[in-house]
Amino acid sequence: MMDKEKLRKADFFSGGFITLFGMFVIVTSLGMPMKDSWGGVQNVWYVSPAIFPLFVGAMLVILGGMLIRTALKAIGFSGVATVVQYLLSSDFVGFLRRRETVRFYGIALLLFTFVFLMVPRVDFFLAAVLFLFVFFCMFYLDKSELLVKLMFFYCGGMAALLLVLLVAEPLATVLPHPADWFVLAFTVVFGVVVRSRISGERQLDRKFTTAVLLAVTAPFLVGMIFKYFLLVPLPFEGLIVELLDLVWYAEIWE
Amino acid sequence: MLLDRIYAFFEIVGSLAADPVTLGILFGSVFLGIMFGAMPGLTSTLGVALLTALTYSMDTPMAMVCLLAIYVGGTYGGSYAAILINIPGTAAAAATALDGYPLALKGEGGRAIGLTTTSSAIGTAISMLFVVAISPIISSFALQFTSFEFFLLAFFGILISGTLTSPDLVVKGWISGFLGLFLACVGRDQLQFYPRFTFGIPELDSGIEVVPVLIGAFGIPQIVEVLKTQVQIGKAKKLQKIVPEIGTVIRNFPAIVRSAFIGVGIGAVPGIGEDIAGWVSYGTAKNTSKHPETFGKGEYKGVLASETANNACVGGAMIPLLNLGIPGSPPAAMLLGALMLHGVTPGPMITFEHPTFIMEVAAILLLSSMAMWVVGMLLAKQVVKVLRIPTPLFMPIIGVLCIIGSYSLGLSIFNLYLMLPVGIVCYFLTSMGYPIAPLVIGVILGPMADENIRRALMVSQGSFMPIFQRPVSLILFIIIVFTVISQTPWYKKGLEKVKIKLFRSKNSAM
Repeated sequence: MMDKEKLRKADFFSGGFITLFGMFVIVTSLGMPMKDSWGGVQNVWYVSPAIFPLFVGAMLVILGGMLIRTALKAIGFSGVATVVQYLLSSDFVGFLRRRETVRFYGIALLLFTFVFLMVPRVDFFLAAVLFLFVFFCMFYLDKSELLVKLMFFYCGGMAALLLVLLVAEPLATVLPHPADWFVLAFTVVFGVVVRSRISGERQLDRKFTTAVLLAVTAPFLVGMIFKYFLLVPLPFEGLIVELLDLVWYAEIWE
Repeated sequence: MLLDRIYAFFEIVGSLAADPVTLGILFGSVFLGIMFGAMPGLTSTLGVALLTALTYSMDTPMAMVCLLAIYVGGTYGGSYAAILINIPGTAAAAATALDGYPLALKGEGGRAIGLTTTSSAIGTAISMLFVVAISPIISSFALQFTSFEFFLLAFFGILISGTLTSPDLVVKGWISGFLGLFLACVGRDQLQFYPRFTFGIPELDSGIEVVPVLIGAFGIPQIVEVLKTQVQIGKAKKLQKIVPEIGTVIRNFPAIVRSAFIGVGIGAVPGIGEDIAGWVSYGTAKNTSKHPETFGKGEYKGVLASETANNACVGGAMIPLLNLGIPGSPPAAMLLGALMLHGVTPGPMITFEHPTFIMEVAAILLLSSMAMWVVGMLLAKQVVKVLRIPTPLFMPIIGVLCIIGSYSLGLSIFNLYLMLPVGIVCYFLTSMGYPIAPLVIGVILGPMADENIRRALMVSQGSFMPIFQRPVSLILFIIIVFTVISQTPWYKKGLEKVKIKLFRSKNSAM
């Protein structure tokens, strides 16, 4: 959490946002049937689906307003002006480049690409291995100059994956599961790049080996439990799941 | 009647303890819970959230064994990191660190952990007694509730949770609760099936799934915060032989009972977790001690007070959860989500729909406290090894578990699209001083509040007068108004003036 002064400055803006959001809730609720008929039923105001959202919206507006008032009492309009000045100054650019902020970008980038790009379209095992491996390389190896470079390299890889996904259908006639093959290849290339960057540093070498081992074993352990013991179909079953299915359901076990 | 209940209780305990599979799951879950609690950055709430997905295919009693055991173990496990590295494994153990770490520095870490193990087990067992004793009374009382009472109760839950959990301004806690209520509005309403805030997205028609929101709200901010700030875990202090400290416990038995009472009481207040129970109990122990100056320098009574209370909170949180359908703490909110998945709807009707359920929960609490004591005594030295695992290694794995866990409940990718943005928004809210517990409680209690206010108004033909005509409604209404007024500056100033006047008149009388 931030310190008190920063909190009050943030409160002014978050209070404003909450008030606007409350207004949006009220306006949207007013579009819901109040006294007119819905689904053949004549409505009365007190059973309207708008009643509760209207109450919630009104409370958000009131509470947001209270927060703005408290913030203004503490920092005044001059405090708000300093925030605006800060947002337009080079100090803010400095904040965006701070080590902690960069780490946040890295975490958000990995989580969003994993959830929105890979999980619905790439074999779960391969997607999870890449996700964990990149995470470990960025945060467990913990080399600040490497973090930014790896982030850009990963971004490039994800952009390329997007292209592969766009042409996945025609590609699949030549090579089944093109996105899975791409992710597999990218994971290997990523590993080679990281390895070359840290070679010679014994402690990092050891950490790299741990990262590789854990990035491969953890998804298999988790995925196997969900897929074969809890019988939960994985979000996307591709190359590896097909191979595992062949082994798991092979006749030799019967 | 009472003898019948006692007999039925021990019959359930016996049947659970006689089943080797149940025992295996019990010990395994307690062990897992302790590990979760011990690792800084992981909490018992997250443990319960992640295990909910794994218990989906189990029958309800087995799932409850698993989830309650991890809850009990997780609450206790936080003391390991608090005592040995001065970083509380969970917020619940924050007060334990004050005296636990100085004890470890003196070379008495083993004794301190022995004491926390025994006092935590006693705290859980005492809270179990309350679950058994108080539940029938609350349940029969709640049967008299009508829709107005349920609406006011839900509203009170959100308000009090917002008031007590807010680390900064109280108004932020309330905003958080109302944001949760808004999330609960999304989807087709239950009375007229009108789509609200669905924006034409068919996946939103059935409303927002509670469990993915809970996983996102508790899991993602934790992952981001730990990895962003790069928490460096110090080297753990050496752990000596662990002894149960029965003698110390017997000598301090009244203090233990008092701490357990505090824990149960705080646990029973909606949305207030084990951390507050630990702090309040620690503060009470210090204020009532003949030597308050020894607190913070390695005082056993401090460790004992916070650990007994935070574990007693587990049972306390079960009382409103089971009888009113209102979670008493964040992990209890997660448990409520899990219970709903298993087709059990907690509330006053639970004693009719599932007559033995409350007894089963109490029996599981008792067995969990015993399992926790055994695991704590025998395996503490092994569990302490998890403190050596660097956070950047296990946090991403927790991320994968959050993602697969959210997906597996309903097999919907849309759950993930919901879970992650909710998690990121919660991260920003947390860093701006907004508590997350009221938001979660809001999501859970929203449908209850919405349906009941409309149903109540339907019966009263749009009149709010029944609130003032029904005694329980009126009491709840007065409490709500008082909760709001008590946060206003003029009330606080007035209270201060009254205090000054009172003390002045006392002093002049002396």
